[in-house]
Order: sequence, then structure tokens, then C-alpha cells
Amino acid sequence: MSTAIHTLTAAFNDAFAQLGQSAEHDRRVLVTSWPSLPVEIIRASGLRLVVATASKTATPAADAHLEPGLFPSRVRQLVDAALTGRLVHVAQVVVPRTSDSDYKCFLYLREFVRGSLAAAMAPTVLFDLLQSDGPHVGRHNAERTRALLHTVADASGHHPSDDELRDEIRVTNTARAAARRLAALRIGAPLVSGTELFPLLGAFWHVPPREYASLANQAAEDLANRPPLPGPRVLFAGAPVDGTDLHSAIESRGAVVVDEISAWSSPGTDDDVRCGEDPIAALADACRCRTVGARLPASAMRDRVERALDHVDAVVVSLPDDDATFGWDYPALRERLTARGLPHAVLRGEAHPFPFADGERLERLVDAASRYRAHHG
Amino acid sequence: MADKQLGVTAAASAFQKEWFARLRQRVFERREPYALVQADVPFELFDLLDVPAVSNQWWAAVIAAKQQAPGLLDAMAADGLHDGLCRYCSLGYASMRYRDAASVPWGGLPPPRLLCARLTCDCIHRVFSMWADACGAEFVEIDHAGACELQPEWWTLGRRRWRELVEPHRLAFTVAALEALVARLEAISGRRLDQSALRDRLERVNQQEEIFDEVRGLIAGAPQCPVRMTEQISNVMATQWVRGSDWALSHARAFRDEVKQRVDAGIAACPGERLRLMWVGAGLWHDTDFYTAFEATHGAVFVWSMYLAFGPDGYIRYGLDDPMAALASRTASFNEYLHNPPWAPDWIAHQAIQHRIDAALVLRPRSMKPSATGRLFIERALERAGVPVLPIEGDVVDARAWNPEAARAAVRSFLDERVSA
Repeated sequence: MSTAIHTLTAAFNDAFAQLGQSAEHDRRVLVTSWPSLPVEIIRASGLRLVVATASKTATPAADAHLEPGLFPSRVRQLVDAALTGRLVHVAQVVVPRTSDSDYKCFLYLREFVRGSLAAAMAPTVLFDLLQSDGPHVGRHNAERTRALLHTVADASGHHPSDDELRDEIRVTNTARAAARRLAALRIGAPLVSGTELFPLLGAFWHVPPREYASLANQAAEDLANRPPLPGPRVLFAGAPVDGTDLHSAIESRGAVVVDEISAWSSPGTDDDVRCGEDPIAALADACRCRTVGARLPASAMRDRVERALDHVDAVVVSLPDDDATFGWDYPALRERLTARGLPHAVLRGEAHPFPFADGERLERLVDAASRYRAHHG
Repeated sequence: MADKQLGVTAAASAFQKEWFARLRQRVFERREPYALVQADVPFELFDLLDVPAVSNQWWAAVIAAKQQAPGLLDAMAADGLHDGLCRYCSLGYASMRYRDAASVPWGGLPPPRLLCARLTCDCIHRVFSMWADACGAEFVEIDHAGACELQPEWWTLGRRRWRELVEPHRLAFTVAALEALVARLEAISGRRLDQSALRDRLERVNQQEEIFDEVRGLIAGAPQCPVRMTEQISNVMATQWVRGSDWALSHARAFRDEVKQRVDAGIAACPGERLRLMWVGAGLWHDTDFYTAFEATHGAVFVWSMYLAFGPDGYIRYGLDDPMAALASRTASFNEYLHNPPWAPDWIAHQAIQHRIDAALVLRPRSMKPSATGRLFIERALERAGVPVLPIEGDVVDARAWNPEAARAAVRSFLDERVSA
């Protein structure tokens, strides 16, 4: 593994787990529950973003308050960290409105403080960015994004100017370009596995953009000379994945994950943010349209899946126990897949630790995908 | 099913059935538009613009009460919709999408002109979009701006200080969303919303909820509960769906008068009342006999549910200079107050004390994820207030996994071991 690949992988895997080890480090960190904040605002204010990630680590403190089967692992990890004092020194906790689970996470975190259930906790706010497309949503989102800027700037002590924001958008777009270069290695004949690539894309959120662009471009060069991977190509649809357990499970059976509908890896497919007169409004609208999550309208999810279907030989539809949303998309997705003759499998169960031990099903899917590929080229 | 004890209850049921029959007639014979809506949208706007509105939750409850839900739920599962998805909000959709899977009550829903929902839970946009597609109707969404400032004692602020209860940006957002809804309704009906008519309607809604406040006080203060919880719900909800109308005000008064007569005459719903119970959550619509099952054995009467109590605390808005803003202040958080901290635990514990509750049964709904959140906070708040809690695992419309005998046995054990002792 090259240094660039190792550095990015570690940045994706370790950033959240390392919180609570150094007060000095944590004071420059803003923690969130899903990669759906305008990261440019956070970095222009002088803070680093760390996103809570799913983990097999037990969460006893959170489990005492979060009802079973309702919250994804990432939210449990965040709440557990908050209740056990690991977030006490971070500059700010910002919970986005990405899903009902996230919103409830915000309400619970505030209740822990009100009820003295947490010894101490960083200030916690909601980033109420809406994703519907009503005529009044854009204004609301711009106002909430401006409010977020003020909150973050107050926490960091640095209020960025519009020009600083524009510069941050420009630099972050270079990081997006590097992520797209990495993602291009999956198109057609993939040169890299999903297990390896997903953390490289996900590191976009944790690594400052100049550093990310440099490392990601280096990683792309390191990977570009590999021979193509021979297995059938798989897309992950359904609930967005936030780790590589599922990638590993299917790739260990000979397939290659070439795309997943997830906010973590979306920098690999997102266009640049176009910065008009108002950089805040531009960032707000980019978040509204792009953030993959439970409140992204089904039509946008459908379009995103549709774009991926031309490049894959099978689809895994992941619907973990806490899913309340993506399962509704399944009958229509099944019809589209059937019309194309694309094999697919629905996986249900606990998402973490990885449960989908139905190895035979995965093997049948990989076999079907191999036949599809042989038939369709 | 337990006998109805109040004369007004039969009148409420008859009104609803007649209302629905008239609706079908208007739609099928005169091709008039109607709307299918979530229970938390402002029905007043629909009524004032003469677009009748059917509550999705009411219709789901009717299907479940008629024991027609299992066939529809099986059909959903057969279509690949997994069992963790919300059944309460989607049963109405299933009744139109899988028509042959059940014998739907009262001839079924006619095709709506539009659907309308607040985007509270994540699934709502999905369910209503699919529903609109299935019946070729328009879907008007009211997005739900989240609460950033959390005011705990919402029921003390809501009546007169609602501008403090809802942050200005959320109020403005909700007003804009309601104005967009009004524009659609005006286009459909060809009528214009008269702001003074809206103010008048909200004043009449206030009057209706004040009457319910009297009823609540009568029930809380009487030595023994004068009216069963199931009959409270029948009378209150039949009225709420047409709130502020002539019939609603008239029926609310008749309901109050009959409850008062019973209190004055010392008539108890359960003459041997020994324990006063609270039901926290939506109703078990497929098994409403559950709510009277402990009267004979334990003298245990369900005294409280959210359906009556939320009327006065959730709906009354004084200060109607800007009626749309007042309506938006009610709409903005609405059902959050019933489930989530900091709002629900404090309110429900407060209500338990006010109603001299001996024990609470808290629904743990299987598939209604948003309603299932917050319940641990509620259970702890009740226990802190000295009210023993029994969680009840169940679904409000899905009887397939419900074991009535086991559930009743669990409650009897709970009453014996934690309450009666």
C-alpha cells in the first residue's frame, strides 16, 4: 500500500475513533453525524470536520437511551461518545437534518444536557437544511447555512469573509476533482476494489482539501497501473453504506463494487460547486441537491441509481433493520432492474456488526452477475 | 366490542359514516375534488376552500378496526415492502394500490384530486409520492423545518405566546408553505381564501378546544372516570376532522354536556373503579376492546389518551391578528410534542399527575419508527413522577403479530405486581 493510500485510508477510518485523546486536537474539530454539511464553511472558519462512523464497538451508554432498531450505528457511536465525555473538548457538534434519526439525535443530545445526563458536552446545534424543492426552501436553506456559518465562526473565533469562502470553495473543488479522478478508476474495467477505494473517497471529508487533492492524485497515479479486476461489477443501492464491511463481503466472493449511493463517496461523482454572487446560497443549494440520505427525494435517488446502472452487472439493495425510508423505493427499483435483466439481491438485518451472513445468497448473486457480464460484455 | 355508554358516541359514528358517503357521492356523481391528507395538516384551509379532506390516519384506523388490514399488509410484503416500514401511514395507500387484497370498508376511498402531507418522518415523501402516482393525483408537500430552540413547557406557551414557542424562521417558513398550499387549493376550487373567514374559523376552533378543555377538566376532577377513553376518542376525533364547523361545535357541546351530566349524577364508566390508567401512543385500532379488558378484573379504567388532551393544549391559539401565522405556529411542531424530548416527557408526566394516574401503558410500535423514538424518555419521566410503566409491543394497525391474550395477561400481571400492590 502506498503512503498516499495508507494516509487517506487511515484518515477515513480513524478520525472519529481518535476523538477524546487530545484536548488540543479536539478544540479545532467540529463533529457531525453524516457527511452532509457544507465542509467549506467549517474549514474556512478554521476547524476540521470529523464525521461519526459506524463501528462494531459496543455503545452501552447510548443504548440506555436510544431505542433499539431505530438508530444507525453511526448515531449510536456519536451519542455514546457524547455521553462518555469523548466530545467534551470538541469545538462544536453539528447534527444535520439528513434523516429522522439524525434529527432525533439532536433532540436527544440536547435533552442529555437539560436532564444532566451527560457530564459535559460540546455545544450542539441542528443544521436544518431541507431537501424538498418548494419555492421557499432555497431561502430557508440559505438562511440556515448563514446561521451555521455564524455558529461555527463563533466557535472557532474566525469569521471568514465571502472571499475566503470563495477561495475555500475553489480549493475544495480541486479536492473534488481529485476524488473524481479516483472514482474514474472504477468505471468500465475497474482497477481498484470498492473495499480499497471507498475509504479513499470518504477521506475527502476528513482531510483538508489541498492535502486531500495531493494525496488523492498521488493515490490515483499509484493505482492507475494496476491490471483490471476481473470480477463482475456491483452497485450498492438502498440505505447508504458508511463503511466497507459490505464491500469486503461481496468482493471476497469475486465481485468488484464499482459504485455505492452514499454521501461518503459522493465527492467522486459530484460536480464542482458553482460559486455565484452568494457563496452561502451556492453551498446551501449544493447540499440540498447532493446530500445522499433519507430526505433526498426518491426521484433524485432514482436518477442517481439510473446513471450507475449502465456500468454494473448486479445490484445489492441494502436495507438494514433501522431503515424506514429506502425500502419504499425497492418495488420500483426491482421493476427497473428486471426490465434490464440485471440481477439483484436485497439484504436485510443489522448493519453493524455486519450480519448478512447469508453467504450463499451473495454467491448466487455473484454467479448471476458473472453470467450477466459474460452475456452483455 | 364494549357497549357505548354515551348517546353522543353513536351520533359521532353516524356522522362520520354519513360524511364519507356524501364525499363518495360528491366525487363519483358530481366529480368534485377532495384531498387525502395527513392528520397534522391544517384541515381548516381545505374546508374553507371547499375541498373536503380525508385524514389518512383516520382511514387507516377504520380499515384496521374492520379487521381488513392483514390482507393489505400481506400484499405490501408480497410486493417487496419490508416489515420495518411504517404501516400506519401507508395502509391507506395499500388500500388503493392493492384493491383486491381486502374488502375495504364503506366502498373504499374515491380517487383524490390531491394529497397533502407534512414531511415529518422520512418516509412520508416516499409514501405520498407513490400514492399520488398510483391514483394520478397531485402531491402538495409541506416540508418540516426542524426545531433549533427547544422550549420544554410548550403547552403553557402555545395558547398566547406562540411566537415565542416557534422560532421566527420556522414560523416564516411554515407560513410560506401554507400559503403555497392555499394557492393550490384556490386553483383547484376556484375560490379565494378570505383571511377574515380564516380568523373566524380559528376562533371557532378555539371555542371547540375550550370545550374539550372543560371535558378534560371534568374527567380529571371527577372522583371516578365518567367516560371511557375509547368514547373520548370517538367523540373528539370525529369533531377534530371538521373542527370549527357548525356540527363540530354543536357536537363538542353535546359531548361536554353529557359528560357533565354523568359527573353530576356520579355515573362512572366503570362503577368499581380502583385504578386509573393512561395510554401513551396512538390507539390500538385493531383491538380497541383491549381498553376495557381490565375493568372487570381490576377495576382498571383507561382515563387518558393524547386524543382529548392534545386538543386544548395543541390547538388553541389566541391572538389572531395574523391568522395564517397562528395556524402555522400550530402546524410547525405539532406531532413532535407528542413523542420527543423535551416536549413529550414533561407534558405526559404533567398530565398523569393532573389525572391522578395510577399506571401508564406506553406503546412501543413496531413499524412506526418516528413514533417509537422518545419513548424511553417518556417512560422515565412517568416513573420519576411515581407512575409505574408497562411498555406494550404492538402496531396500531397491524394485528398479525399481536397476541391479544398474551397482551392482556401481561397487563394483568403488571397491575397485580406493580400497581395494585
